[in-house]
Amino acid sequence: MEDLMFFDANCRVGDHIETYPGIPELLKDMDLYGVDKALVRHNNIPKSPLGSNAQIARMLRDEDPDQRLTGVWCILPDSCGEIPAPDEFFRQMKANRIGAITLSPFEHRYQPRRIVIGRIMDAAAERRVPVLLDAFANQWSLLYDFIERFPDNTFIYTELAGKWGSDRNIRPLLETYGNFYFEIARYWVPEGIRDLVEKYGSERILYGSAFPSGNQGCGMLQLKHSGLDDDAIANVAGKNLERLLKGAQL
Amino acid sequence: MNKCIWNTPGTLAEKFWRDGRGDFPIYDMHGHMGAHYAICFKRCEAPEMVAHVKRIGVKRLVFSHHEALWGNIRNAQVCDICRQFPDTLRMYAGIIPQRQDRIKEDISMFDRWAPYALGLKLLPGYHSTNAMDPRYEYALAFANERKLPVLIHTWGNDTAILDVVQKYPDAKFFLGHSCYGAWDLAFRCVRESNNNTFLELTAIPGDRGIIEKLVSGVGSEKILFGTDMPWFDEYQAVGGVLAARISDDDKLNILSRNPERILGKDF
Repeated sequence: MEDLMFFDANCRVGDHIETYPGIPELLKDMDLYGVDKALVRHNNIPKSPLGSNAQIARMLRDEDPDQRLTGVWCILPDSCGEIPAPDEFFRQMKANRIGAITLSPFEHRYQPRRIVIGRIMDAAAERRVPVLLDAFANQWSLLYDFIERFPDNTFIYTELAGKWGSDRNIRPLLETYGNFYFEIARYWVPEGIRDLVEKYGSERILYGSAFPSGNQGCGMLQLKHSGLDDDAIANVAGKNLERLLKGAQL
Repeated sequence: MNKCIWNTPGTLAEKFWRDGRGDFPIYDMHGHMGAHYAICFKRCEAPEMVAHVKRIGVKRLVFSHHEALWGNIRNAQVCDICRQFPDTLRMYAGIIPQRQDRIKEDISMFDRWAPYALGLKLLPGYHSTNAMDPRYEYALAFANERKLPVLIHTWGNDTAILDVVQKYPDAKFFLGHSCYGAWDLAFRCVRESNNNTFLELTAIPGDRGIIEKLVSGVGSEKILFGTDMPWFDEYQAVGGVLAARISDDDKLNILSRNPERILGKDF
């Protein structure tokens, strides 16, 4: 287990109207708990999608010299010309150590449909760029509709606040979509991680913490003593996310 | 893994990481049992729950049965379940304010449920009321007279909690979820009561910095560990306590010592 690598799939940094922990605080927690790497998005995505894209790129460049963090950028409808064409968008992502995308259609007031974001979503599917579904947390009907429209994309479902096990909603998605991945920051069902891995495979489940609202340590102990074998634990802890990000062709 | 809390020699965190348990008993003071309408539980009956909690070294799980809280079974039946696992299970008798007939009958039977029935469980919000509802008076007067524990579900800024812990100064109030989010109210309940109020941690250990806030606010001697089992994994919840930026002494108080101080070592 000394070689176990943890890659946190669910972290946010940076201020919005309130002050929040930034990259120095995240790195400090990662050192305290032994988390090696993290996928981070900016707290202010809902209110400032393009501004926070620029901000997270600057923060990664200036505050993470050991390059332990990988960033997430938010997309917008491509028909309005607010983000570059997909090839250029992904080129910029790679240049700024951004490895995944997210979207916040409800806050940004557009319809998450093919005619609105189809070009960027199809390009993300072709390049296997992971799409975070944080904005759809606990909005199951909307989430189901969205995934049905984009069945070829690689999705990571993350939660920040929910504490009730969501098996009735998560399991149909894991059963139906091979590229749907479930992050466990708020999945506290007794021995539930083992149940999910035994049913859907250790490759489909990702460790995450929901930093800064969530504590990175509790999920680590939950996974370590989940009853899974060492290989499965290693996959969930970090190998799966590393594989997904390395597999993206930016 | 580089040097971190999980591999710092001699710490509780290192011990649990390596062995999966400590060398002291854990008391889970907030459990349930049975199916629940809003969630799929794979391990919600006594044999599976006891097996789960024993993995990490829980000595006692004190619970109220979901079905007793929703009126489908009686507390006497819950006691029968406890009798099947006498080394692990203890119960709170579920109090439904709408069922005064059952409250009086259950209170009259309470002594027959020794040593399994430790106290009462109130679920005011889910029963569409608050803790100062007069329909709780009979049960709370009994708890006050006997100095019994009363676990109350608390969530948010419901000031009836402060009123009730002051009105019954001899009952021992365990505030389930510690008035989640309304931390200042939780602190007031402890500070402005008759040394009879304790904060309980269910749903909190996954939240960054809250255990530290509670310990700073009232001291670790006033905090109890709980999981809502079968809702939350014991390793997740214990992990949250171990990962908090508090001393190992504080962690021992929360996980093990405080229930023994309140109820004795052999409850």
